[in-house]
This record gives sequence, C-alpha cells and structure tokens, in this order.
Amino acid sequence: MTDHENSSIKHSDHLLLDQPLLRLPNELLRKNFRAAHFAIEKDTSTLKTLLRDSATAALSGRATQQDVLKNLDAMISRMRGVKRKLGAYADEEARLHTQTAARIQHLDELYTMHSIEDVKYEAWSRKRLDRLLADYLLRHGYNDSAKELASEKNMENLVDVDTFVSMSRIREALLNGSVAEALAWCTENKKELRKMESKLEFMLRLQQYIELIRTQSQPKLVEAIAHAKKYLMPYWGTYPKEVKQACGLLAIPPDSSYGIYSDLYKSTRWNELADLFTTTHNSLLSLPSVPLLHVALSSGLSALKTPACHSSHADDIYNDTGSSSALGHGVCPICSTELNDLARNVPYAHHTKSHVEHDLFLLPNGRVYGKERLEDYARKSGLSPNDVKDPVTGQTYPMDLLKKVFIT
Amino acid sequence: MASPGDDIVSPFGPLQNELARMRGANLTTAIQDVDKIIEYLVAARDQVAAPDADHHRISMAMTTLQNPVKDRLEAINNDLRDVTKAQRSFGKALDKALPQRELPMGTDAMADHPSLINRAIAMHLVREGQFSVASTFVRESRDQQPPLSLEPWSPRTARTDEDGDDDMIQEDGEEERLTGHGVNNYPEDLQGQFAEMYSLLSELRNRNLGPAIKWARQNNSRLESAGSNLEFELCKLQFVWLFKGPEVNGLPDDERNGEMGALRYAKEHFARFQSRHLKEIQQLCGAIVFAPNIEQSPYRHIFQIDSAFEDVATSFTREFCSLLGLSAESPLYVAVTAGSIALPRLIKYNKNTKEKKTEWTTENEMAFETPLPPSMIYHSIFVCPVSKEQTTEQNPAMMLPCGHVICRESLHNMAKGSRYKCPYCPTEGHLRDAIKITL
Ligand SMILES: [Zn+2]
Ligand SMILES: [Zn+2]
Repeated sequence: MTDHENSSIKHSDHLLLDQPLLRLPNELLRKNFRAAHFAIEKDTSTLKTLLRDSATAALSGRATQQDVLKNLDAMISRMRGVKRKLGAYADEEARLHTQTAARIQHLDELYTMHSIEDVKYEAWSRKRLDRLLADYLLRHGYNDSAKELASEKNMENLVDVDTFVSMSRIREALLNGSVAEALAWCTENKKELRKMESKLEFMLRLQQYIELIRTQSQPKLVEAIAHAKKYLMPYWGTYPKEVKQACGLLAIPPDSSYGIYSDLYKSTRWNELADLFTTTHNSLLSLPSVPLLHVALSSGLSALKTPACHSSHADDIYNDTGSSSALGHGVCPICSTELNDLARNVPYAHHTKSHVEHDLFLLPNGRVYGKERLEDYARKSGLSPNDVKDPVTGQTYPMDLLKKVFIT
Repeated sequence: MASPGDDIVSPFGPLQNELARMRGANLTTAIQDVDKIIEYLVAARDQVAAPDADHHRISMAMTTLQNPVKDRLEAINNDLRDVTKAQRSFGKALDKALPQRELPMGTDAMADHPSLINRAIAMHLVREGQFSVASTFVRESRDQQPPLSLEPWSPRTARTDEDGDDDMIQEDGEEERLTGHGVNNYPEDLQGQFAEMYSLLSELRNRNLGPAIKWARQNNSRLESAGSNLEFELCKLQFVWLFKGPEVNGLPDDERNGEMGALRYAKEHFARFQSRHLKEIQQLCGAIVFAPNIEQSPYRHIFQIDSAFEDVATSFTREFCSLLGLSAESPLYVAVTAGSIALPRLIKYNKNTKEKKTEWTTENEMAFETPLPPSMIYHSIFVCPVSKEQTTEQNPAMMLPCGHVICRESLHNMAKGSRYKCPYCPTEGHLRDAIKITL
C-alpha cells in the first residue's frame, strides 16, 4: 500500500461517525408528525360528532338559536386550538427541515475533497471535531458550554442542543426524585416504547409504588394498593418476578435488611432510573449509546500510539521537554500532555513496515538520525562542516565517528 | 478502489431532492385547510346569529355547513398522507445515502476516564483560543462536582506513572476522586500562555515583528537547545521588511527605514548571530550592495516575502507550543481525525472476531494494521525484518557491526552460543558487538 493511498479519503467509510447527524432530525421529524397527526385526529373526530349532532338538533328544532351558537363557538374554538397546535408543529417541522438541509450540505462537502492533505479537509474535519465535542458536552449536561461552542463556531444547525437540553431536564428530575416528567415523556412516545418493548414506564410506576410504601402511612398504603392494581398488574405477564416482589413489599418496612427488598428501597434506584431513561431516550432517537467522541478517540489514540509514547526510558525524558519527534512533524499528539494519560488505556498501533528517515547514521551515543536532519541541524547550529550535533541530546561529534545504518 | 482522477459521486444529491420534496409536502397545507374550516364555521355562525335568523335559516346554515367541512377534513387527511409519503421516501433515500452501520460501542475504553477527557477538552479549547467557552466549561464542570483540591498545572504532571500500568489504575481513581471532573486541574497558567501566543500572532499578521522578536529573545536559550532558529528567522524578516522601504512596509520614512534603516538594524542586532549564521548575514548585507537591482542579484529569493509572514507565524506557533511540551496541532484534532480514518478497520476487525470475545482494547498491541497518512506518523517505527515485530523498550533494535538492524529477540533466537551470523550479509560476529540503538 502506498503512502498516497493512505491519504486518500474513502468517503462512505469516512462518514461512519456522522450517521446520527441525519438520523436524529429524521427521527424527530417523524415524532413531530406523529404528535401533529394525533392532535388533529383527536380534535377533528370531536368536530365531526359536534357538527353532526348540532345539525340534527337544529333540524329537529330541539336546539334554540343560543344552543346552536354555543355549539358553533365550541367548534370554532376547538379548530382555533388545532390551528395553534399545528402552527407549533409546523414551526418545528420547518426548523428540522432547515437543520437537515444544513447537515446534508455539510456531509456533501466532503465529496468535493479527495485527500486528507487537501486544505479544505482540515476545515471540514475541525468542524466534525467541534460537533463531537458539543455532543460530548451535551451528554454530560455541560449545556452552556455546548451552546456557547455551537454559537462561536456558527454551527447551531449541526448540533442537537434542544434534544439534549430536554433530555437532561427529565434526567435531572429523576435524580431529584420526580417521575412526573419522565412519565409524560413515556406518554408522548407510548407507541414507540411499546414497539421496542421498553421497561422504562414499568420501572417508573414501580418507583412511584415504592415511594408510597416508604412512607408507611395508612392512607398511602391504601393508595399504593390502588396504584399497584392500576399500573403494575397489567405487567403481570411481562415482568412476573418484579410484580410479585412488588406485592411482597407491602409487608416489608423500609428498614428491613432483607436482600431484594432492601435493594428496592435503595436511593441509588433513582440513578438507575435516570440511566435507564437516558438509554431508552437515545435508542428511541437512534442516538448512539456512547458519545461518539469516545469512539473516535479509542480508535484514533490506538492508531497513533507507538511503544515510544509511554516509554520509561531515561532517553525519552526529551519527549517531555517537547523536542520534535523523530520524523520532524512536531511533538507527537500522544506524547503531548493532553492525551498522554488517556492513551494508556488503548493498545499501540500495529505496523508491518518500518517508518524511518532516509540515509540513517548512528551516533556514538547510540542514537540514529537521518543524514539530512543531522546536516540541517549542524548548519543551524553553526558547526564546522566536519561536526554533527545530536538534535535531541545536544552532544557534538566529529563526522567520522558516524556509522551508516542499513534498514532492511 | 477509486483513483484520485475518478469522480466520486456524492450520494447526497438524491437525498437533497428528497428533502426538497419533503419541504414541499409539509404541515402548513393542513393549517390552510383548518383555516378554511374556521372560515366556514364563522360564516355559519354569522348566519345563525343574524337577527332575522329563524328555525329554517338556522337549519339551512347548519345543513349547508356539513359537506364543505367534511370535504376539508378529508383534505386534511390527504395533506397528512402526503407528508407521511414524503417523509417515508426521504427515510428510504437516507438509508441509501448513509446506510446504517454498527459502531464499536461494546467496549468503551474511554468510559472510565471522564476527567482525563475533560482536561483534554479544556486544553484544546484554550489552545484554540476559545477562552470564553473554556471558562464556561470550567464553571459547569465545577458546578457538577465541587473540587477537593486544586493542583497547579505543569507540563510534567501528566507523566507520573513510570513503573508500569498496574498502579496506573489506582492513580486514575485517585485523580478522579481528588479533582472531580478533571478540568479542575485545568491549566490556568496555560490560558495566559495561549493568550500571549494569540496576541503575538495577531501582531505578526499585522506585520509587526517586534513583540515576537522580544519573546524569542527572552526564550532564546530554550529555543536554541531545541534546535530552533526562530529568533534569527524573525530578525531576518525584520531586516528584509525594513529593506523594502516605506512604500511597501508603510512604516515612517526616516533613517530607521529603507536600505539604510535595514543596514542600521543589521548593525544593531546581527552581531549576536554571527557565529551561527554568518553566511546568511553576509547574503543579507550583500543585498544592500546590489540595491536597487535586487531582481538581478543572486539574493533575489531572500526578498520574495509573499508568504514569509504566514510561514514565520506557523513556525512561531510550533515553537511556542513546543516550549510548553505541547504539539503544535491540537492533539484532540489529530486523534479524532486519525480515529475516523482508522475506524473502518476497527469495525471490520470487531466483526470478524466477535465470537472470539477478545476485546481489542485489552491487548498491548493492536492485532491489525490501521494505516495513517504519512503526516500523522510522528515517531520512527522499526519493524524487525526477521520477526516482523515492532521494537519496544523490552525488545529494542540492535545494530550489528555490519550496519544491519534486527530486534534483540531475533538476534538471540538465531545466535549460536555467543556468536551470530547476519541474516542479510555474510558477516559473523560476537553478540556483545551488537549495539542497542535508538531510532
Ligand atoms: Zn508519541
Ligand atoms: Zn549484515
């Protein structure tokens, strides 16, 4: 394989990390449409009934003028309500269309480049990094940082601030012991959640039940039984074990240390619920379960890492002082402070052929350099033409002590 | 594989067409139909509310209202059907343009290190000059978890673990416990450094070399020991810039400008470079003799400075970062770009080894090659021609007296007693004559 080939962009492969960029607005468009459809269907079927009934009443003479007017006013206000709701859905739709257009255009741009060395590629790839950073920040709830980055970089259409902000609001609510927000979200997405056989709603209902029992007050216990009948029993077939345990909970007070029951009373269940919500939310919207920055970094750190990057050898202290690495491309990104520790968690790259400078010479101190670099450095250092200087250690040697190295 | 001459057709053209269609079939049509219904209802209400409305008129109004409203409701249904259709066909086009492919999410080697990732991001933002975003990030990450300790940053703090990977795990835990979400050991002095770098760079781009020269002079000894001639390069450019005179450089037309100004500058500043750069200084001063016929002189090239300020800005950035122990390009940028290049291989490997259940992240060395463009190879890599293994600290490259290089393991494997025979030439010798080399 030639080096040139390693620089050429394999477009479809290169967009692996960019799938969610178009998937998410597509999912959101469908979701938005479903909500709009639902609202229209509900209100227009009411309208149909009202329209027929009021006409029948008017014809039969049972309804007075006032009655008919009242019916008409009800219909008008209902349709104005529909219009208002539809207006909001149409705005969201337009926003998502604009977003999709911007995203397609961004991905399409990559096809105007053929090589990693293309100057345009760097701008494109930087934009991708900014997007991945924004995604990471949003997933960790650093919402202001993400918003600021998006607006600084003029890429609001390429990042999903709204989606993650509403997600983190629900998540926060769960961490603060409130299920209402998450339940509302479940209602909004009922059909899809059923399709993906999500356990989320059951777990939220179960938590409500646990909290009622935790109080140990008589009226709350009665309420808990009613709650179980209404919200837990329907799951008898799906989660028999959990439902049975839940029933048993009625008899076990919160201070019990009895295995599974003390687990049910644990406060960390709220963290688990928050995580379950996040997972469910992400898979519903075709969002990757892991920040894509992690995927890109695992893959990139290992591709760049060499055994030298974490060498404990005394010589390599020179890496610390920031001397250019052997091939003259500046400090290695894995040796740089930013990533050095992080890169300990991945393997180093596998190579099947050597990458060394041309025309190698061995210095008496055991270090090997290319002839061109030695000459260049000697000239820069103002040495006599018969001397060379080690570019890393600074030791000076007469030229005739150098030995030619043969790399096969 | 497509050669560079081939035109690779973007799959996003068809998708753009589908998007156009989808933007045509949207919810506003339904809103217009709802509007019509409201219109009918309001008109009917006016008739019913009229002072002379009797039973007959009211019945008429209500009866004639039925069909138009029903028609419009039907129209709304059709509107929605159109939207669904357009969305479906966009979805299909999307599957075609960007087929869903699974990413390696199974083992997330990064999952346990939010604090290291946060620090890398904070440093990235600072080095990119995004100071405001960086400070918001620091605030938000502090709010999420209050810091227990504030360790000052120094370029060496990152390198604490020298004795292997085992206690690294403990150290990591320690670090995350002490510093919360990681940006707390945020390099505060680093932000000042980069602020200085950006201000010097902007002066450079405004063709004002003074501040950069001053910085280079202050850091002269460190720059020189790192093999950098930055100070001289800057002074040389200053000389040429003065030499060009007021019409070009826009500086005051006085004794400090023009050819004589350049000469004066040379006298004041070049003495210190004499030992190292005598030849170049001679060339520069030779140019003064040739003036104004520089174009015909052998020194013509020195005075072509179209890109000189950009070039010197690039080397300035590189040297500046290098003195901080940092690479000139953002490591995060290089790593993410390399990651997207290597990812297809990783996916392919994961697919092939799924049943083996060995996780690629737990090995020392990757099991497969992930070729990167030459600009992304930073260290020399030596692959032993005998064993095909990369040399490491434990198994270094050894040079035989004949000049051939193999790894230590290979050398010992083929040795007979204390003697070896070079596999690449007819020389033989003693093991003790092989020298460990550093490439
Ligand atoms: Zn390195
Ligand atoms: Zn040999």
